[in-house]
Amino acid sequence: MLLEGKTAVITGCSRGIGKAVLNRMTAQGASAFALVRREDAAFTEHCAALSEKYGVDVRMVYADFENENAVTAAAREILKTKERIDILVNNIGVAFPQRMLAMTPMEAVKRSFQINVFSGMLFTQLISKSMMRGRRGSIVFLSSSAAFDGGANIEYSAGKAAVLGEVRRLAVELGGFGIRVNAIAPGLTDTDMGGITSEEVKAAAMSRNIMKRMGEPEEIADAAVFLASDLSRFMTGQTLRVDGGLL
Amino acid sequence: MTNLEKYNQAFVEALEITEDQLPGLEYQAIEQWDSVGHMGLVATLEDAFDIMMDTDDIIDFSSYEKGKEILAKNYQIEF
Repeated sequence: MLLEGKTAVITGCSRGIGKAVLNRMTAQGASAFALVRREDAAFTEHCAALSEKYGVDVRMVYADFENENAVTAAAREILKTKERIDILVNNIGVAFPQRMLAMTPMEAVKRSFQINVFSGMLFTQLISKSMMRGRRGSIVFLSSSAAFDGGANIEYSAGKAAVLGEVRRLAVELGGFGIRVNAIAPGLTDTDMGGITSEEVKAAAMSRNIMKRMGEPEEIADAAVFLASDLSRFMTGQTLRVDGGLL
Repeated sequence: MTNLEKYNQAFVEALEITEDQLPGLEYQAIEQWDSVGHMGLVATLEDAFDIMMDTDDIIDFSSYEKGKEILAKNYQIEF
């Protein structure tokens, strides 16, 4: 197993790519802190099933990433366990329907940046302290193909591009601690978030896609497992595009 | 071990220096106490005193003496 004995912290686990990452990483032997916005009976059962199936610990942590105090409290809850964190997957994100900047309230931009950029940065600042102590670790950020091609609305495209700058800088800062930092830039993926994309935008994306289909969450999760594992031990500061080949 | 001894030991271990270098020692005054060394020192202190330092305190921690002040004031560590 690629992640046996490791502990992962994964944000935005209740569905989509985050849930797939949780499934794949536990299947590879990692225990996990699964961050979700609120308690949910079905997800609780899902975590218990993963725990039993793979013989790992899956602990839920609740936090609303729109609220910085909640982000700090969640990080402290995890750090208080004194468990060494090996992997951090910053997956949480929010997207709104496509619209022009001219029709986008700045409040929406700020809200998007709070969740997609600032809270993830704060959470990483706190959780990476555990990795620094262990002098090893792998941090994976979920960016987007929109960071390269502007394929989503302005706040999402800009926020996901900001994440790439963060990844480059963090790789430099944390390299001395043996911590690798990389990003995944998925293309259009078959998730609830992908579901808010209009048919017109989907058709445009598919016309530029070599494989002519949306990605599956598990296909993105497999890339996260690769970046979290020692298979990618000589990679840092990189962005892996998992998008079916965008022209 | 007294708290002062634990505090000094953290500096000695994390920055690989000797105890006689501690009085008056300031952040970035020696090669070992750069930003990487600083985070290593913070981790060692957190382990030694079983605390979690706030980011503001990590930033304010600008010298050997200032660190003592912060630990005493914000984390109730008596020296």
